[in-house]
Amino acid sequence: MENIIKAKIYRYNPDRDKEPYFQDYEVPIDRRVTVHEFLNIIHRDIDGTLAFRTYKCYKGSCSLCVVKLNGKVVKSCSTPLNPGEEITIEPAGGGEVIRDLVVDFNAM
Amino acid sequence: MASKNLEVQNLQTDVVVVGGGGAACRAAIEVAERGQNCIMVDKGRPGRSGATPCALWSIQAPFGPRGRDERDSPEQFFEDMVRAGRFIGDQNIVEVVAFTACDRILDMERYGVKFRKYEDGRFYQTPMPGQTYPRSCFMYENGQHMSTVLAKEVSRHKNITVYKDFFVFGLLKNDGVVVGIIGIDMISGQIITINSKSTVIATGGYTSLWGFSDNPPTLTGDSLSMAFRAGAELVDLEFNQYYGTDVIWPPSVKGTVVLYELMIEEFANGEITDKNGVPIIDKPLPIRDEAIKIIFNVIKEGRGTEHSGVWYDTTKSPKGEAAVREVFETMTPKHYHFLIDAAGIDIAKQPIEVAPASHYQCGGIYINEKGQTSLEGLYACGECAGNFQGANRLAGSALCDTQTMGAQAGKYAAEDSKKRDIIPPEKSSIDEHLDMLKNFLSEKKTKTRPIFLKEEILKAMDEYVAPFRSKEGLEKGLSIIEGVRKEVEKIHVPDVGRYNLELREAIETRLAVDAAELTIGAALFRTESRGHHNRIDYPEQDDKNWRCHTIISNDGGKPVYSKRDVIYTRLKPEDVK
Repeated sequence: MENIIKAKIYRYNPDRDKEPYFQDYEVPIDRRVTVHEFLNIIHRDIDGTLAFRTYKCYKGSCSLCVVKLNGKVVKSCSTPLNPGEEITIEPAGGGEVIRDLVVDFNAM
Repeated sequence: MASKNLEVQNLQTDVVVVGGGGAACRAAIEVAERGQNCIMVDKGRPGRSGATPCALWSIQAPFGPRGRDERDSPEQFFEDMVRAGRFIGDQNIVEVVAFTACDRILDMERYGVKFRKYEDGRFYQTPMPGQTYPRSCFMYENGQHMSTVLAKEVSRHKNITVYKDFFVFGLLKNDGVVVGIIGIDMISGQIITINSKSTVIATGGYTSLWGFSDNPPTLTGDSLSMAFRAGAELVDLEFNQYYGTDVIWPPSVKGTVVLYELMIEEFANGEITDKNGVPIIDKPLPIRDEAIKIIFNVIKEGRGTEHSGVWYDTTKSPKGEAAVREVFETMTPKHYHFLIDAAGIDIAKQPIEVAPASHYQCGGIYINEKGQTSLEGLYACGECAGNFQGANRLAGSALCDTQTMGAQAGKYAAEDSKKRDIIPPEKSSIDEHLDMLKNFLSEKKTKTRPIFLKEEILKAMDEYVAPFRSKEGLEKGLSIIEGVRKEVEKIHVPDVGRYNLELREAIETRLAVDAAELTIGAALFRTESRGHHNRIDYPEQDDKNWRCHTIISNDGGKPVYSKRDVIYTRLKPEDVK
């Protein structure tokens, strides 16, 4: 199995972009990671412009880190990914997209 | 936000409360109930961010006959807290905590927090190390439930306006008086000042200045830097409480708390063991500063696990797997399922590697029993406030403090605001913060990213400012922090208005540099070992010279460290055997 995870990630800055678009990332990963770790790795090593919520509560209960993974809403901190997977990550919905994967809380 | 023209929006209110956890919510409720207008600003979302949602079930209150053991009393709670704090908690404040805890818990029940009760209506209470009688009231669904209920209660008050995703980075002053805050609305990128008659800081601690922490990554000591820069005194920052058994492996769940307090016969009846399965912690269980020493020593002696931890093992419990699972399902259901979902580890049937990690800031902003700081107009409560937990905190005292001192700071901030007029901030007090933002946004030849600087800070704190520390190591740590301070000037962030994560990281890093420097300074200053501060070059507790506070004050921007007497009211150390 390849030590890589391929991801299509939703990008959108309503101030600058006419339409949301998907950006492709190929991330070298050789172990099981959570979606939240995966986003942190992209932010740190590949693309500092990606916006998402970095908060974590260590028990999968605050729901601040929810995203849509392959069309399904998941808690990013407790959902694992394995090397070799190809995935799509979008904002969780339920509110206005502020930027990229960040959704306005006021609507949650 | 447009970098060329940093326009500032101004808001006004009677009391501004900074934070969104247990203490901030309780302070805001108190302000509102006293008829004052309040703006509450939270870096995340009240009820779902900060440290309170990460907490477990345990909140101490001496219910005595209304609880599990009729012999318990506020006097006993007071004494337990003073002793655990190694006699350097100010007793005027400990009195407030111990003697108002029951009332504040009844408030919480009124707001809707569900406590476990016996059939006859008494509070069910768990025994925790250091409590003479079992005193920890039990919240189903733990700190997350408490946070959600408190945030809901806040929203019921029409005179509280809540700003979510609002990152405060500075205090505003006029002629020595604190008159509000400045921050950024992350959603829009708008810079906002809130001009207030009094200001309450309830932003939690600095525990995530350390890389191995069981607290949210947002808790890097913002308020310590803000308070210090404004000229408020800080106290006892050398006492960062570590918790003994946080998951160290695998990385996806690193920092998750698994409670050693659950290893007693009444609960899981398991063991903390070395790599060979030999139990290392005797029962009755020791309090936290003693527990971490045992675990650190086992690891140092080479008896640790592959990833420098020890085993948290319930598999040999005489109770059997099903009964152990029932304990985790009842007591810490979220943590239990999180470990299964995120890492595939079921702690009812397999051991997990744990080690001591950064857990709670015992010191903080210096306050009195009213929650007043050394600066006029400024109050502090919750974990960011210092001088009452002392050198070590008991289980269940953190949440209890959020409610008791939260209400107290809210009360006096509200009453104070009734007597004051709104004073606008001095222009220079706003400009210094705008200059910082302009510098981050300006184009530079060499661009530094904040995340890498922050990592350097966290690494230095892990390596040199762990509970066992020496002059030599602390000085190394300090020189790394000084190096990072120079690099902060080189940070460049893109000029994006909406949710500028890089800008938040940049400001946090700048504040974290201060908090780290002051913490190391305090640890260098105290040449003895006490509670969670262990100087390997001064291994003994030195009551003659050091049964006192470490005070940090600001002299023209430079920290000055000095000693101050502890306030003793009911229990003087010399009266104890």
